[in-house]
Parts: sequence; C-alpha cells; structure tokens
Amino acid sequence: MDQMTNALRGEGIALSFGGIKVLKGLDVEFRAGEITGLIGPNGAGKTSLFNCLTGAYSPQQGTISYAGMPLNGLPPAARAAKGIVRSFQHVALCPDLTVRENVMMGIARNCTAGWLSAFLPLPRGRTEREEMARAADTALSDLGLPDVGDKFPGELPPGMQRLVEIARAVVGKPSVLMLDEPAAGLNNSETRDLTAVLRKLASTDLVMVVVEHDMDLVMSICDRIYVLNFGEFVAVGSPEEVRNNPDVVRIYLGSDDDE
Amino acid sequence: MSNHATHITPDQSVFTRLSSVATPGVTAGILVAALIVMPFLLGGSWTFTLGLCFANSIGVLAVSLLVRYGGEVSIGHTFFTALGAYSIGVLDARFGISLWASVPLALLLGVTFGILFAWPSRNLHGIYLAVTTLALALAVPEMINNFDILTGGYEGLYVATPFIPGMSMGMQRYYFALVMLVIVCFAVARLRLSRQGMALLLAKTHPAAADAFGTRRVWARISIMGISGGIGALCGAALAFSGSTVSPGGFTFWQAIFLLVGSVVSFYGLSLPRVLLGGAFVTLVPQLLSASGAWIPVFYGLALLGMILLGHYMPRIRKAMSRISEVS
Repeated sequence: MDQMTNALRGEGIALSFGGIKVLKGLDVEFRAGEITGLIGPNGAGKTSLFNCLTGAYSPQQGTISYAGMPLNGLPPAARAAKGIVRSFQHVALCPDLTVRENVMMGIARNCTAGWLSAFLPLPRGRTEREEMARAADTALSDLGLPDVGDKFPGELPPGMQRLVEIARAVVGKPSVLMLDEPAAGLNNSETRDLTAVLRKLASTDLVMVVVEHDMDLVMSICDRIYVLNFGEFVAVGSPEEVRNNPDVVRIYLGSDDDE
Repeated sequence: MSNHATHITPDQSVFTRLSSVATPGVTAGILVAALIVMPFLLGGSWTFTLGLCFANSIGVLAVSLLVRYGGEVSIGHTFFTALGAYSIGVLDARFGISLWASVPLALLLGVTFGILFAWPSRNLHGIYLAVTTLALALAVPEMINNFDILTGGYEGLYVATPFIPGMSMGMQRYYFALVMLVIVCFAVARLRLSRQGMALLLAKTHPAAADAFGTRRVWARISIMGISGGIGALCGAALAFSGSTVSPGGFTFWQAIFLLVGSVVSFYGLSLPRVLLGGAFVTLVPQLLSASGAWIPVFYGLALLGMILLGHYMPRIRKAMSRISEVS
C-alpha cells in the first residue's frame, strides 16, 4: 500500500531543447521500498529525466507527483524541502567547506536557527551546528569515511569525493533519493562499500532511483530497472527481465557475439 | 595550556613555532590589544588617521564579503557607505541624536537597500552586476546634492554629538571605529560557521547543488547583498563619526574603486589583519604619497602592484623563511 501511495510518478513527461526531443512522453513510477535503476546509453535522456523530477528542468508536457502531491512548477529547493534530494553526475562539493560541512548542508533544510544565530554565539545556533555535525559524522562513517570530516574536498581522491556527495544526499533522511552515477570514479572496493550502503539505506519509506553505467551494481541492487534510449523507454522490469530483453541486449548491454 | 603549545617539539624551527602558536584568534587578540593602546603612544593626527583606517577596513570587508560569499564584485559600495554616513550625519546635525540610535538605523537602511538592489538584479552576474553597482556609485553624489535640505549639499554636515560622555572626542572617534571593526569581523567570522554562511558558500560554487538541498539562488543573492550593504553602511557610520564630517566628496565613484582596491590588496580576506591591511592601503598610502605631486597615481599604482606581488609570492617567502630558520 505504502509502496504505491509514496511513489514518485511522472506521466507523459516531454522535454525538448530547441526542437530536439530529449524526453518523449515518459510514464514512470518509482516506488517506495524499491531501488529502481535507470539505465541507457550516453545521451539517452537519463540525467534530463532526473532534472525534470528534481525541478532543475521544467518539462514542456506531463505531470510529476510524489505521494499524490503535484510537483510541477515547484523549484528544486521546494522539492528538497519535501525530502526529494539528489546527487550529481559531476561531483558538486564546495571547496571552501570542509567535508563535514559539505555533508552538513544535506541536513540544513531541516534547521531553523535564524540570522541572529548566524552572527552571534547564541546557544540555539551552537546546538544546531553540533547536531548537524554529529549527523554528518554518522553519515560519513556509514560510507566508510570516518576520518575525513576535517579535510577539504580537494584533499580527497575523486572516489572519496563521490562518497562524500552521497553522504550529503542521505544525511537528511530523504523520502526520495536520486543518485546520478554514484559509482563513477569509484574503485572496486569503494563500489562494493557503496553497494552495501545502498542496500542498507533501502527501506519501505524510501524511493531510491539510481542512474548508473556499472551494470554489475545496477543488476545487483535494483528491484526494477527502466531502460531509456533516445528519450523513450525500451524496457521496464526486474533485472532478470531486462537482462533477457533482446532490445536491451542489442542497444545497451551488447550482443552475445561481443562476449 | 592549549593543544597548539603542547605540540611544539624542540627540533621545530622558530618560524614553525610562531606559526603554530599564532592562530587567527591569537593574532587578532594581540592586534586588538596593540590597537587599544595605540592612541597613548601616537599623536592626535595619527589617532585620527587610524580611526579612518578602521572605518575603511569595514568598507573593504563589505566588498570582500560580497566576493567571498557571493562571487560578485561591487564597484558601487559608496552608495551603502553614504547611506550609513548620512544616517549618522543627518540625525546628529539636524536632530541631535547620537550614535546609539543612528547606528542601528544606518545598519537597517544598508540591509534594506542592499535587498532592494538585489531583487531586480538577482539574475545578473559578473561584469553585468558590477556595472549595475557602478550606476549606484555614480548616482550617489548627485542624490546627496539634490537632497541638500537634509544632507547639507556640497557643504556637508558636521558630526559633533559625543557618543560616550566624559571621553575626549578624539578618543571617541578612534575607539568607536575600532569597536565597530572588531564587532563586524567577529560577526563575519561567526557567519562562516553558521548554516546560512555555509549555504551561501555552496550557492556561490555550485548553485544547482545548493538548490537541490534547499538553498534558493535568489535567497543567496539577496542575503549576501543585504549583509554586504549593511556592513557598507556601518563603514559609512564609522567614517562619519571618526572623520567628523560627511560630504559628497567622500562618496564618489573613486572612493568605491578604492574600496575594491583595498579588497584586492587584502586578497579578499575577512580576518581582522587582512581587512586592516586593505583599510590601511586605502587610507595611508594616499597620505604617504601626498607630497609626490603629479606622480601620485604612478606611485599608487606601483604600491598596488607591489602589494599584490608580495601577497602572491607570500607562500614561497614563508617557505623560504621557514627553511632558513630551520638551517640556522
């Protein structure tokens, strides 16, 4: 029941850039309690669909809703306030903030201390900052990065930066978590850690969507997979169904001859 | 006592030891202590000049804050300094109201006009925003002259109401600017640790990421312009009281450029030593060069170049000094 009511839905989503149709009337349903994969070759429209769902782009047609609430017209910040958060294809950490502070920004939307606390050493602001820091440290530890909180992002290798960004996305306990190529730049060990963390994060309340090129990761963690090509869905189904779909094999996974 | 002190080992160089002890807080504390006793060591004219230097440092900080937290450059901050200065000047000269009331009003006006300017210009960036702030700077002297009933026009206003009864005006003018500078630096240091400050920094470097985590770009722009405008107005308030007069000549386009120059010289630093460096450059260099006649612009440019090069090579100089200290 919750799976269906807490779903992130898109109906008839169409997006064009100057006459080029990037998304062609897509119907999607990302359910709570499932990890849904979104795969497809480069330029298929995965990130554009992500951007429509998170509010970065406004689709020319179609409706987007979460748990029955319409999201069309809401800017990204307002969607974030509803617990819809994302990570980015290219790591978007602030170099002026420490790793811990970057992760703290993932929970900032839940904080209420006002401007007076920003300029004066008031107890409320201090308490809030300590709570944010604790939550950030916990998120970093969960991702296997317990000792990097005081470093700056530039001091970390790209793989770790990616994990920090995921920590920022999960620290605020989102209701919808959208990860854009979370395993990009990770080595095998880091990818294994990430897989374990994503499995651990999956809960009955959370809608999790993963755009990823690492097929092993996608096939091992996803409950359902959407396959996108040229702005259209080619296949939808379980990893097994997708793996055996001849269209998917042809356009994306490669044919038997390639193996 | 502190962790810094306990970590010093005998084989560390003098330079390294000094660096480990001189935390930003300790440095600022020593600097403030030195500045507190300065009027008792220097003559009246130097006390007056240093008061102006502190006031200009606040203006340099306002410009640097906009760069560091907003990623934008202003060449029109004299608009905000004029607002602050005339708040003090008009209330003092026309109504006899002291700084206790006029400084909060100056802050309020600076923040309000910062926000009012930010709203229509919220989608402008880079050179486009800079040129828009230029319009503010160009408009200020004319506006002051046209409101001469209040502002005194070309003649300006004299600020004479004491702030603290019983203390000489010379001392009041010095310490008021110093206290204002320390308070503003402290508040800005607090901002860096706050949720709002962190959100502003994220919005500057990755607006899309800030948006995705609940920080609207428009909020970021309006907030930083409001804060910077408010601090600019406090600079004006300090200039008015420490300089004892306010007139249109103090708020020209060139004054706005000098504030930007001070900001560049301080490398957009927001700490007390850095903004003092910028304020000192803006205030003292023209005075030191005043006997150079037609060569003033040339020497000013050379001084500016020298400061920037010195700042640029400072990390290498520090390393070299550290090596020399270790060898000796």
